[in-house]
Amino acid sequence: MTVHTPASAPETQGQLMIPPRPRTWPKALGVTAVLAALTILTTIPAIGGVEIDLASIARNWTNGVDRIVQMLTPDWSILPRTWQPMLETLQMAIVGAAISAGLAVPLSMWAARPTNPNGVTRRAVRFVLNVVRAVPDLVYATVLVAMVGVGTLPGVVTLVLFDIGIVVKLVSEAIDSADAHYMEAGRAAGGTQTQINRVTALPQTWPVFASQVLYSLELNVRISAILGLVGAGGIGRLIDEMRGFYRYDALGTIILEILVVVLLIEWASNVLRKRLR
Amino acid sequence: MTATDTAAPARTPALPIPPRPRQVAARAAATIVTIVVLVSFWGLDLEWSKIAQLPQDLVHYGRLMFSDPDWSMLPEAALQTWRSVSMAWIGAIAGVVLSTLLGIPAAHGVGPAWVRFPLRWSFAVIRAVPDVLIAIIILTVTGLTPFTGALALAIGGIGTHAKWTYETIEAVPPGTAEAVRASGGSLWEVVRWGLWPVAAPELMSLALYRFEINVRTSAILGLIGVGGIGAMLTQYTQHREWDVVGVLIIVVVVVTMLIDAVSGKVRRRIMEGATVRDVERKH
Repeated sequence: MTVHTPASAPETQGQLMIPPRPRTWPKALGVTAVLAALTILTTIPAIGGVEIDLASIARNWTNGVDRIVQMLTPDWSILPRTWQPMLETLQMAIVGAAISAGLAVPLSMWAARPTNPNGVTRRAVRFVLNVVRAVPDLVYATVLVAMVGVGTLPGVVTLVLFDIGIVVKLVSEAIDSADAHYMEAGRAAGGTQTQINRVTALPQTWPVFASQVLYSLELNVRISAILGLVGAGGIGRLIDEMRGFYRYDALGTIILEILVVVLLIEWASNVLRKRLR
Repeated sequence: MTATDTAAPARTPALPIPPRPRQVAARAAATIVTIVVLVSFWGLDLEWSKIAQLPQDLVHYGRLMFSDPDWSMLPEAALQTWRSVSMAWIGAIAGVVLSTLLGIPAAHGVGPAWVRFPLRWSFAVIRAVPDVLIAIIILTVTGLTPFTGALALAIGGIGTHAKWTYETIEAVPPGTAEAVRASGGSLWEVVRWGLWPVAAPELMSLALYRFEINVRTSAILGLIGVGGIGAMLTQYTQHREWDVVGVLIIVVVVVTMLIDAVSGKVRRRIMEGATVRDVERKH
């Protein structure tokens, strides 16, 4: 305000005006109140909340430490038995990622605005995929195992459902935000929507698509490691067995093996992803 | 060479079509990927009769689950859902507090190297262990209770959340931190006044996202018996009471989508609110 009158400017130059402190406490109070209310509501056991039992930690913490110590002294003799289930886990991850990749191409075209101007089908596809994404992976596996029986089939179907949810969401968002110039050129040249999608949108989103499929492969290895806990095949079956026998030293070996495989897959997919750019 | 000089003007109307690029590497990669996928497919030993029957099975069980859901189980399902959401919430609060305390010293420019690297390694180790296994270890301490689920979510969450925390802190433009340091601020003051105010909106948004993830994971932890909607679902699936399973799946989907929607709105508000405040400050 004083800047407009040159005469008063030299006076204020010496001392800088300290701006008034913004009044943030009402907002902070409101946020804190909501957080506190939710925390209290979630700790009342009578309405389904969590009973916080710190005494049991004080009493039994040595049990947990014992298990961790056992896990940190891995029993390598279990290793030969892990090869076959680990291979199965990898195969499930690859097949799941491949099938979902094939299904995700048309679905992500349907779910993105530039490639599907029809609002009704676009919203329908998006809604169905939101529902598919809302169900946790192991819940799919549990229900599918009860439906089709123990084995790798329910595991693969679980991974396919899980991957489609992620890949289609990320790829269709990439198409939505991509440059539409090529597609406009295709339309100006008189192409039908299918031709435009085939010739412009598909090559344009190919790198994003491939990179998301690789990402889903990484997630698949992590997930299929535990799918066996509910009977859906892979190394999780062995984890469940070892857990049943309280063989925590063997569990340590298996976890270490999963860690190595996951890191290898991440490394390989990072290398591939760099080549894609 | 010289002939083209005279021929060039005549040719201009017709644009030459560039030769199709030879994609030897891409072809080779595609072939390798195809072979790997096919080998995995044959190695998997899937039963073809079951695959052929899969669509039929899905329709059959879909009808059992959703044609006449047993809505009388809804109150029990609501209670168990709240138990799962509670696990997710307590797990998120504890996990985010722990991750913030551990993640900030692990950021470049805050903690010294001998603090930073051990912390980062331990986050990586936790990331490698599936949540279910963390819960299996913790249940030897606190038993098969929802509290075990919350603790597993809190500790399992540190792996990724602390990583996001230090990455967010490292992404803060160095200006404010340098200003605080230049005016004689201690390390604590640099973090409190130079880094925290800039990173806070992003961190809050990530904390809510952690809660969204936990809502899904808590249903999974229920499968190993710590309670909540996942435990109820396993139980009724094993008893093959499909009309109840239908209700439970509907409840899971509705609650998850609802929480995602609300949390997404709040997160957008947090992030956009921050930019609006910035714009106002400039004037």
